Amino acid sequence: MIESYSSEVWTEKYRPRKFEEMVGQEEIIRRVKSLVNSLNIPHLLFAGPAGTGKSTLALIIVRQLFGDSWRENYLELNASDERGIDVIRQKVKDFARTKAIGNVPFKVIFLDEADALTREAQQALRRTMENFTSTCRFILSCNYSSKILDPIQSRTVVFRFQLLEKRDIKKRIEVIAFNEGLSVSDEAFDALYEASEGDCRRVINLLQATASISPNITPELVNTIVSKAKPSDIKIVLDYALAGDFKNSREKLLDIMLRESISGQDVIKAIQKEIWNLPIDDALKVKLTQKTGEAEFRLVEGSDEFIQLEALLASFILAGRGEA
Amino acid sequence: MEVNDSPWCEKYRARSFDEIRGQDLAIDKVRAFLRKFPAKKALVLHGPAGVGKTSMAYAIALEMDAEILELNASDLRDREKISKIVGPASSQKSLFRKNKIILMDEIDGVSATRDKGGLGEVLSIIEKTAFPMILTANDIWQKKFNLLRRKAELVELKEADYKTILKILMEVCEKENCVVSGDVLKSIAIRSRGDIRAAINDLQMLSKMDSKELVKEIGERDKEQSIFSAMQYVFKNARINEEMLRVFNEVNMPLDEIFLWIDENIPEEYSGEELARAYFALALADVFRGRIRRQRHWRFMVYEHFFLGPAIASVKKYNRSGWTSYKKPSRILKIWLSNQRMAKKKSICEKYARSCHTSVRAAMKDFLLLRFVLKNPAVREELGLSDEEKEFLDKKI
Repeated sequence: MIESYSSEVWTEKYRPRKFEEMVGQEEIIRRVKSLVNSLNIPHLLFAGPAGTGKSTLALIIVRQLFGDSWRENYLELNASDERGIDVIRQKVKDFARTKAIGNVPFKVIFLDEADALTREAQQALRRTMENFTSTCRFILSCNYSSKILDPIQSRTVVFRFQLLEKRDIKKRIEVIAFNEGLSVSDEAFDALYEASEGDCRRVINLLQATASISPNITPELVNTIVSKAKPSDIKIVLDYALAGDFKNSREKLLDIMLRESISGQDVIKAIQKEIWNLPIDDALKVKLTQKTGEAEFRLVEGSDEFIQLEALLASFILAGRGEA
Repeated sequence: MEVNDSPWCEKYRARSFDEIRGQDLAIDKVRAFLRKFPAKKALVLHGPAGVGKTSMAYAIALEMDAEILELNASDLRDREKISKIVGPASSQKSLFRKNKIILMDEIDGVSATRDKGGLGEVLSIIEKTAFPMILTANDIWQKKFNLLRRKAELVELKEADYKTILKILMEVCEKENCVVSGDVLKSIAIRSRGDIRAAINDLQMLSKMDSKELVKEIGERDKEQSIFSAMQYVFKNARINEEMLRVFNEVNMPLDEIFLWIDENIPEEYSGEELARAYFALALADVFRGRIRRQRHWRFMVYEHFFLGPAIASVKKYNRSGWTSYKKPSRILKIWLSNQRMAKKKSICEKYARSCHTSVRAAMKDFLLLRFVLKNPAVREELGLSDEEKEFLDKKI
């Protein structure tokens, strides 16, 4: 089934449109398929890492249920982009007001990154789900199901997506390479895979980025792109802090966060990884990692991520001098 | 810093009894103490910050034609230095002048214990010294000063009244050749609440703006004045008190903005361990702010204010003197500037997210990689990118 609308963005162009085209997640697909065949689905919760097929499966479900008229019966929302639960509720309300077209008596709402909602917003979401159960089914997606309230989990059927295996991703890459006339050596594929941490969307984006330079995909070319697309190093921030220069350290940090549009959470993650690579003794690594963990804890509880990161850097200055 | 930028509160410090305003009663008592010396060997000048305790000590030295030997809390641990000051001093006369005075400023910070370096040392110096010893304190009625109060003559310096401060400000203006309207001076004088140093600091801050701007921005400045003095209160005082719980309440500014001011200025005052502890306190205040927001549990405000005020003040051992030029928070401006610069990036990511089943946030994060994908003219066409957006993509990073 080739649609008239075909994208030039490969993640879209080669997004699986049928159950059979999906790679990995066999058990989930088998069960979802049987639900869809009965033309009645419960609310669903897809939990798992990025690039494992959550949005793709949701799209396949609506295509199967509604055929060509799937666009009219499908609403896609992203919790991290919508401004607050009230906006989401209003959109759901507007969408659910009209009846579904066709044989299926409900419409489908896909709420991506549902774990970006606060507890209170999730409570409100739960009520919204209940109010519209007769006309709408919800598919929620998240990275960690633990961040979704129990009352919501108990109202959904939960599917846990696993990181795709290397051979599964390879299957998709082969399809794309064949259609786009690329040559991708095994080594080049390894490089693509390594740089993407099992995230299929990222592998495909990286492939398209590399192919924009040459159809002959080599590991060297892949690595060139990877290094060009690498966010600025958080290491320089740590270097300043450990050298005792607080003001420069915080200025660099703000620079990087603004330029790369990354959150405090992303920064903490990067710092925690970077500590491993620092040329410092083990005891100090332990100390810094402990401080980082505590900072992450407070960052989740607090309201200004930057202040929490500054407190972490200030404590690194002491640790760097062996005083804390 | 330029020469004429030196703190005015130092430049215009009262140097003699004649120059000290509104403390006539205190001056009489000081004269009586000097007359009767050595009936009592130590004099404690006490009173709130900025009323002129240190100035009074120097004026006494001038009056007696004496040399001042200053001791601070950390010297108390240094027996050699103490005996250099007290030992020979008690037997020999000064080489150059007839008299000496031993000054110990801000004894509030000295620990109560009798071990080395504590108040016990202070008392034994009083015992030994042949010269008058002058001590200054904010609050002499603390329990730890019981013994000291018995051994020393106490002289209280009252807060300067508003008219006295206004007069001082007008004189400073005249000497500095700066034109500030009477209304502005009045409001500075009133706000200073008897603290001459704070009033002069405020005046110096204001004088840096040119006069047209000054009139225009006085409303805005008004706000900033109070955040300046509130921060000064917390950053300069080492001992915590209940006033510190309220100090930011009295600033006419949303608490979120106050966070930014403190955040900006902690490194201006603190470094090393103090810096780390101050940021830890600020981080805890922020945690409670987050909890209030999420749980609507307003009682947490108490802790928010505690960690912003007293906790940040408590990271240092001793009171700070000197004048710090506090900075306006720059983070919001930087974020705004960056948003202006990144507006195109954001609008591109919005278009991308809409047609590629992902979030704007995720697209922004992956932007460096997506730039390559977005080179393709067909992709640009498909997403409906504007000419400006295309131009943005073609620019070098």
